[in-house]
Amino acid sequence: MKDKKNLTTEINPEIRDILIEMGAEDIYKCYQCGKCTSVCPWFQVEIYDYPVFKFSLETALGAVASSEDKKELEKEIDLIYRCVGCEACLDQCPHGISTSNILRAARRLLVDFDSYPDTLKSTVQKTHNVGNPFGEHRENRADWAKGLNVPNFKQGMEYLYFPGCLPAYETRNQKVAQATVGILQKCGISFGILGVKETCCGEVIRRIGAENIFKEVTKTNIKEFNNSGVKKVLVTSPHCFTTFKNEYPDFGADFEVLHTTQYFSHLIDTGKLKINKSFNKKVVYHDPCTLARKNNIYDEPRNILKSIPELEFLEVENFNRNLSLCCGAGSGGLWLEWEKEERIVNVRLKQLMDTGADIIAVACPYCLQMFEETLKSMSTDIQVMDVTEILYESI
Amino acid sequence: MKKIGVFVCHCGRNISSTVNIGEVVEEIKKYPGVAFCTDYKYMCSDPGQDLIKKNIKEKKLDGIVIAACSPSLHELTFRNTAEKAGLNPYLTEIANIREQCSWVHSDTKEATPKAISIIGSIIEKTKLNESLSPVKVKVNPKVLIIGGGIAGIQASLDVANSGHKVILIEKSPSIGGRMAQLSETFPTLDCSQCILTPKMVEVSQNENINLHVYSELEEISGSVGNFKVKIRRKASCIDNSKCTGCGICSEKCPVSVDSEFDEGMGKRKAIYTPFPQAIPNKPVIDKENCTYFLKDGKCGVCQIVCSLNAIDFKQKDEIFEEEVGAVIVATGYELYPMENMIEYGAGKYPDVINGLQFERLLSASGPTQGEVLRPSDNKIPKRIAFISCVGSRDPEHHLPYCSKVCCMYMVKHALLYKEHVPDGEAIVFSIDIRTGGKDYEEFLTRAKEEGNILYIRGKPARIIKQGDDLVVWCINTLTGKQLRVKCDMVVLSMSMVPSSGALDLAKALRIHTNIHGFFSEAHPKLRPVESLVPGFFLAGTAQGPKDIPDTVSQASGAAAKVLTLFSSDEISHSPIIACVNEDLCSGCGICVATCPYDAREMDERKKIVSVNEILCEGCGACISACPSGASQQKNLTDNQIDNMIRVLLHSNAGALERE
Repeated sequence: MKDKKNLTTEINPEIRDILIEMGAEDIYKCYQCGKCTSVCPWFQVEIYDYPVFKFSLETALGAVASSEDKKELEKEIDLIYRCVGCEACLDQCPHGISTSNILRAARRLLVDFDSYPDTLKSTVQKTHNVGNPFGEHRENRADWAKGLNVPNFKQGMEYLYFPGCLPAYETRNQKVAQATVGILQKCGISFGILGVKETCCGEVIRRIGAENIFKEVTKTNIKEFNNSGVKKVLVTSPHCFTTFKNEYPDFGADFEVLHTTQYFSHLIDTGKLKINKSFNKKVVYHDPCTLARKNNIYDEPRNILKSIPELEFLEVENFNRNLSLCCGAGSGGLWLEWEKEERIVNVRLKQLMDTGADIIAVACPYCLQMFEETLKSMSTDIQVMDVTEILYESI
Repeated sequence: MKKIGVFVCHCGRNISSTVNIGEVVEEIKKYPGVAFCTDYKYMCSDPGQDLIKKNIKEKKLDGIVIAACSPSLHELTFRNTAEKAGLNPYLTEIANIREQCSWVHSDTKEATPKAISIIGSIIEKTKLNESLSPVKVKVNPKVLIIGGGIAGIQASLDVANSGHKVILIEKSPSIGGRMAQLSETFPTLDCSQCILTPKMVEVSQNENINLHVYSELEEISGSVGNFKVKIRRKASCIDNSKCTGCGICSEKCPVSVDSEFDEGMGKRKAIYTPFPQAIPNKPVIDKENCTYFLKDGKCGVCQIVCSLNAIDFKQKDEIFEEEVGAVIVATGYELYPMENMIEYGAGKYPDVINGLQFERLLSASGPTQGEVLRPSDNKIPKRIAFISCVGSRDPEHHLPYCSKVCCMYMVKHALLYKEHVPDGEAIVFSIDIRTGGKDYEEFLTRAKEEGNILYIRGKPARIIKQGDDLVVWCINTLTGKQLRVKCDMVVLSMSMVPSSGALDLAKALRIHTNIHGFFSEAHPKLRPVESLVPGFFLAGTAQGPKDIPDTVSQASGAAAKVLTLFSSDEISHSPIIACVNEDLCSGCGICVATCPYDAREMDERKKIVSVNEILCEGCGACISACPSGASQQKNLTDNQIDNMIRVLLHSNAGALERE
């Protein structure tokens, strides 16, 4: 018998139509120029060829996750979950094709068939069961705020501060939430938190493909926000930001969302936030994909850093703003393990370190976590800080 | 009451096989106002036409209806027939009982009453028709051609050589346009200037051509046949009657700036002729860079060295008027700005250049005398990447259209580079190679084989500078493999966009452009060199991206259209146009805004709108927009339409009268 791999792929309209239904509607626009592939972060991981440009055509043929050969299917699943959802491809695509949406459609199919990576299955289950992707206890969710005198949100307060899962539970990230609260209190802003009632926004499980559980989480959150009378939400994570801002309205949400960098930049510009101390360090800013490319927030974090005296601001040459490189943590990437020489984060860290900076400034808990974890295994003095932390030190 | 005659045609069996002609004739004879009705096998034949003529005269008919095929086929035929019999042609109407009846039915029982209804409705129209005569207007047989590139040059020569006067205006100091900047031309590789400059000289020597360079259109009024134009001749600060073009002024001028003609690859002086073969060969002073103008009269070196006293710093812009009968727009193209391609480092890296800049490097008369030297360090580049579709075919970020010429000039560039630098390597990155044109695909094949040119299928995403090298990031989409190609220089084939002044010009001329600013033709297939507004014609890349052969063909086409217009002293125009009942007009001006031909004029004093009969095309837009019914189409008034509809809504003819 002939090897199945050598047979011509049959067109499978059924799979194609399901995938289009699930969000892969862009596939017919592709003219196979390949620009997506060479802006993809995997292009810079030299030992690995990631064929982004093939996904549109393969989906149009219905040849996604359709192999009957088990090993082949595993390879396909690996490909489908490599995408970090950074949307560098969408940013450069002449026809505006969102390959991450096409792959998310494929992921939805795999989740429906329960054929997706085990680590991600556990992420989805934990989010479903305890409201965060790490499986931490619900009652510990507000521990970060202990002793900071942070009130629970009540009707009439101006802002709900929503730190998100990483800043709520993860030790390093907790400092960002604490710095945020510090700045808000110093400026006398009226705000509160949901505390133990806070639940994951659901961004990562939607990117993993668990659409139904995402919808459940979303509805619970919107109900909680509505019951509490939330009108404006301030978030630390760009992932919460994009989900609340761009996706929750589809499910009936009606509240304003601000990222902390937007709000703090505004407070500085209007003179409500005074910077008193200098920060005598060389700081390079890393654009988080979800904040930058997805939501066009490029200037606010830069504005904050540039208003701090003595701070020497650096850019990564060739790879800043919309041409920035992902940290590798998006769309489930934080939970997936790749061989050391196959990691996007190492490429990005090298670019950041080559600038000669003392500090890498980020504005996303995923980037912070990813960089911190990786730097532990490197012999370097460079440090990672959230823009908020640097700002807090300067007031 | 009018005496209407009705002539029913069998059209062989085309009509008679489905429509009972005998029954139709009997029924129509009874129709009120019909004085005569008969049928014939082929009404458009000579005997058929004689039958019509005979009866018009004998029965003294003052209106006829021909029940036959579509009016688009034989309306003119039958109107001429009527005219020969002494009947005003606009009292002749066609009832279409073939396309609208016999051809679409098979049942005689259905088709026959329908034919009767159709004829009845046209009888009603004819009853209220008035005698009309075509609108006549004198034609001034002189043409204004805007733009002195190859399109304007070709059109000028064609019109001038047929004995008509041409006014050719060009905004830069010389004619020649983009073609003068090119080194060689595809697919034959003949030297661009060698084939262009004889034509430029011909323009300057042709007595019928009045050439004005450094000049732009200021204002235009009037309509087809009789335009009045004002032209601004910018002050060149040179007295051309004294200047011999010796060039000593440019030689001695101390100010050196980037040359537009060399696309910034070379320098020119503040007093300059753009290139040695310029027509006219007279310099101009660039006031924005001249020290004399920047520093209140300090410098003046050119004035000192000019022994002929031809420098006149006090010269002012001059505005002069001309009268012409037609206008050809040939304003050409520019390249999409390179600075928009951040991912390619364009505008940042000096060795990332565009196609026109590369033309200047290849040109024997260019800044490097035809040596391919890269701008950053004047080294000979040993590997050049040519990238296609830069800015083109990118609806998301740039321009959605294909610029049409890039595929071919990239072949040429790669081949010429290999001729200049035989040990160099030419790599072309493209996604589709479009070689639709005579001998084009053969040229590509030859270039690949003889020049050993490497074609890679893929659109590069980034160009990153590493040391001295430019690294092109791409994938080979045929294998899916990553490529990081080190190059010494990169040539981007930037898309073609209309000249920067095109939109303002379109507004001044009141003709249309598409959303990208290319002038719109009247019909994409059948009227490609005319604009929708009578009297304005299009040539070359002003209308859309095209190469030299297409441009020259279109220019000759535009010239032929102009000559057709000039072939008689008068032009006549269909009288079936809008008219205004002044008693009903409230002067609301809706028709003025609605009219696509600018044929509506408001008399601000009387607050009444009139129709310019020469400009009106009879489209009817103003009539349906008019809220008071003051606007009516001649021979298709609201009354006529009402009567026609009433007949059609009843099953048999004559119903209107019996009502």
